[in-house]
Amino acid sequence: MSATTESSTFVPPERKHGSLRRERRWAMIGAYVALAVFIVFFMTPPFHMLMTSLKSSGEIADLSGNPWIVRQPTLENYWELVTRGNYLIHFRNSIIVTGCTVAITMVISTMAAFALARMKFWGSATLATGVFLTYLVPETLLFIPLFQIIGHLGLYNNLWAMVLLFPTLTVPFCTWIMIGYFASIPKELDEAALIDGAGHLQMLWKIFIPVALPGILAAMIFAFTVSWGAFIYPLAFLVSSDQMLLTVGIVSDLIRADTFQWGKIMAGALMAALPPLLVYAFLMDYYIAGLTAGATKG
Amino acid sequence: MSQGTLSVPSAPAAVSPHSTLRRLARRNSTTAFLLTLPLILLVLGLVVYPFFYALYLSMLNKRMTKFIGWENFTFLFSRQTFWDVVFQSVLFAVSAVAVKALIGFILAHVLHALPAKGQRKWRGMLLVPWVIPPAISTLAWWWLFDPSYSAFNWALAGIGVDPVPWLGQAGWARFSVILVNVWYGAPFFMIMYLAALKSVPDQLYEAAAIDGATGWQRLRYVTFPMMRNIISITVLFSLIVTFANFDIVRILTNGGPLDKTHVFATYAFQVGIQSGDIPLGATVSLFMFPLLAVFAIFILRGVNRRNKEMA
Amino acid sequence: MEGNGFSRRTVLRAGALGAVASALPLVNVHGQNAGGKLVLGLWDHWVPAGNDAMRKIVMEWGQKNKVEIELDFITSVGNKNLLTIAAESQARQGHDVLSFPTWEVRAKADLLEPMDDVMGRLQQKYGELNPITEYLAKVEDKWRAVPAISGSQNKPALGRFDLLKQHAGLDVQAMYPAADKVGPGADDWTWDTFLKAAQACHKAGVPFGLAIGQFTDATDWIGSLFQAFNAVLVNKDGDITVKSDSVRQVLDYAKRLCSVLPGDVFSWDDASNNRALISGKSALIFNPPSAWAVAKRDAPDVAKECWTFPAPAGANGRYTPYLPYFWGVWTFSKNKGAAKALIEHLSQREQAKAMVAASGGYDIPPFGSMTDFDTWETEGPPKGVVYNYPVRPQHNAKQFIACYPAPPETAVQMYNQAIQAKMIARVAQSGDSIDSAISWAQGELEGFSRG
Repeated sequence: MSATTESSTFVPPERKHGSLRRERRWAMIGAYVALAVFIVFFMTPPFHMLMTSLKSSGEIADLSGNPWIVRQPTLENYWELVTRGNYLIHFRNSIIVTGCTVAITMVISTMAAFALARMKFWGSATLATGVFLTYLVPETLLFIPLFQIIGHLGLYNNLWAMVLLFPTLTVPFCTWIMIGYFASIPKELDEAALIDGAGHLQMLWKIFIPVALPGILAAMIFAFTVSWGAFIYPLAFLVSSDQMLLTVGIVSDLIRADTFQWGKIMAGALMAALPPLLVYAFLMDYYIAGLTAGATKG
Repeated sequence: MSQGTLSVPSAPAAVSPHSTLRRLARRNSTTAFLLTLPLILLVLGLVVYPFFYALYLSMLNKRMTKFIGWENFTFLFSRQTFWDVVFQSVLFAVSAVAVKALIGFILAHVLHALPAKGQRKWRGMLLVPWVIPPAISTLAWWWLFDPSYSAFNWALAGIGVDPVPWLGQAGWARFSVILVNVWYGAPFFMIMYLAALKSVPDQLYEAAAIDGATGWQRLRYVTFPMMRNIISITVLFSLIVTFANFDIVRILTNGGPLDKTHVFATYAFQVGIQSGDIPLGATVSLFMFPLLAVFAIFILRGVNRRNKEMA
Repeated sequence: MEGNGFSRRTVLRAGALGAVASALPLVNVHGQNAGGKLVLGLWDHWVPAGNDAMRKIVMEWGQKNKVEIELDFITSVGNKNLLTIAAESQARQGHDVLSFPTWEVRAKADLLEPMDDVMGRLQQKYGELNPITEYLAKVEDKWRAVPAISGSQNKPALGRFDLLKQHAGLDVQAMYPAADKVGPGADDWTWDTFLKAAQACHKAGVPFGLAIGQFTDATDWIGSLFQAFNAVLVNKDGDITVKSDSVRQVLDYAKRLCSVLPGDVFSWDDASNNRALISGKSALIFNPPSAWAVAKRDAPDVAKECWTFPAPAGANGRYTPYLPYFWGVWTFSKNKGAAKALIEHLSQREQAKAMVAASGGYDIPPFGSMTDFDTWETEGPPKGVVYNYPVRPQHNAKQFIACYPAPPETAVQMYNQAIQAKMIARVAQSGDSIDSAISWAQGELEGFSRG
């Protein structure tokens, strides 16, 4: 890739190293200040959620006193969620659906991205751009016609309908991320493998995917997050409490007509945030490591 | 992540007249086609077909008994509320995405500049907004904005400021919706930009430093151009998703007060499902398509042009 | 005018008939196939005990009649029930029996099994229903659903009698005691008195918590307000009558009322008024007893000062906001006989009594003869807090649904898009003139009226 080095023409040559070090120090201070500001901004609601989840409903309803701290912390919200009601069932359902969705998405997207990025065939250009355009059709438009399709398939009020529908939300962008990534891997890699006699699929599996791992991980992270947090399709298609996913389950079970059980809602929300956080904690390191390695390779 | 290039194969492969090579080429494109088949089937069956069915639905009358052509569309054009919805959707999408992109850009640089040791926990904390399902985190924000119990108002009262009607007045309600949207979406930008940033080769920075470029100039002339494509694509994707957003507005304000925070998705839900005019709801939803298509074509064209320049 | 159209004698007569009828063996399944399977989607009661009671009743019936029952509770939160109805009507499959919210029976009338036989028997047994249920569920002279007990609610005033006495000089417990009479001051309980009380409470820092947003808690009480002023926006023939003096009067009244309400009521949802009461910051809301019941658990000091009493009266009468649910059977159900039999069973007096008891008095049966259950007498503290929650003959009030008597296809849009609340908001919050709000409403109503 050509670097834009023509910028050097206007820089005065008297700049000294000392000012560079000072500049670097100011940059670090600025970085930490910005970090602090945004950490506060990002973490304030989760902090409040944590505090609320530790309060009894009486304490939540009490207006006197500081709502940012908890005076009589109790774990009863968490305990009640786990032992009573359908929260664990919803959790299990979400894990099943998300797991299947990520698997299906990765298979479909990787194959498609590989074909679109590396292999030339009629219509591949249009398809690559076209696949992105599926996002222009939003869920709120689709769910009404989908009632008929899902109904005919007999999957209404069934969590497997979600496994069928969620890939429509994840596959286009994942394919798209991976097309971009795959296209930048040098073609010599493929040709070397092909010359050595490997079939296309073998090359894909043994040579290509290990090199493309950071792109694949990025797509997996995205698919997981979207699938875990999906709300509209589960809201529209899942009715029985034992089929529901976490997002819909929390809203349906813990909000009753005009009464909200805030403590439990917050507790449920924090527990629902754990799996993605764990996934991220695990995958992000590999992902970032893969990127930096790729960068220094030039 | 790659250097943000979307290099779409533009020219078809040259096919040699030699028969075995032609066979190979054919095998190549059959495999390729088979590899993309699941994607095509998925999109056709669950997106394209329902889309055309929704288009058909939008041309029916309220009771879905007769075909009325474009009447639903012309009816909407005459409604002031509808134009408010258009304005509000564009306002939310553009301002939220602009702020998210800025925050993401800053944070990506911050994380990039920090020593690698402590990065993990900061990264983790900065990711939390994106990781909590948006429907639920919006509920938490709603509790923070509640007219009687707002923790924010309590804090403001502590420094002597009057309680703010976060969701009660049109101006504040719009601000709150954009705020929650920014809070939720900024980490996504941060990740994408961080990845792009890390893939800019160090040699470029070294070369620029040798030439005596300052920090700002490095940013402007090395970083920015290298990241341009990723910036465009992420902005486009976020524009589309923010535009079509349903959860945040529905849970925070349900379109109120006085329909001043309605966006397409929530307005479609209200006139479609709630008021029992499903064809009209479909019509409202369909309006998103041309608007988004305009954004998409505009940005994608820029991306493709830059790719051609680079290649 | 005699209350909801019943004189005491009619009530007693119907009660006697009911007692006689219930002594006769109930015919459960009317010659259709006894047995099979039934899938039910009933309203998810906000009181979990209400769900438990319903499940018990339904399962017992299923066992006795050898019908296999599958029961889902579908919440109205997030309009989940509307989505379910839309989904099943499109997919032509789903549950056999659903709880249909207020306007949905009309909307899906073509897909609902006629229930005239069931309704005929119920009316013979229990007397008259209020006319609102006919307006909502009788389409082209055929009943398409049966008014449900579980989920149907009134929204009278629920106030803090201590604060009202202290700041507004109103003794609501004396006005509407837990007995079959009204006390002094009940005749004076008009919207004007209401406004004075609101002003006094606002000055004392405990304003009335009256929602003026786009949710049903707002739409319902505002509908009664408009009707009390005879401010009809669309009449029963579909003519738009918004440009009238009574509409001007009610908007003027509302403007004065809003100046003493909290500034953000225009964005309140269905739970905001509950929270205003429970937090102790509000002296009066319009709500069913759910707010009091939650206060009983979370803020008992507030709960023991609460009292339910009817809405104020206007020149045109006194109207209690009423929000009914219906039990309906899809025409594509595979076990219609059992479904209808179950619905008839659920509407019987014993079941009604059980549901009302389990819900703490929240559920309102559709028959005037069923307003004498002792749950409403005994619930407390304070004892008698929900005595005046069902409409009693001495209230001189009629149950009412906002936007009646407009043609239901128009009314559902007026209701769901909260046109009355928006008119008030335009005048009170945005500062529009009353005439411009009326012209705006004219335009909106023309839009709603189109086929």
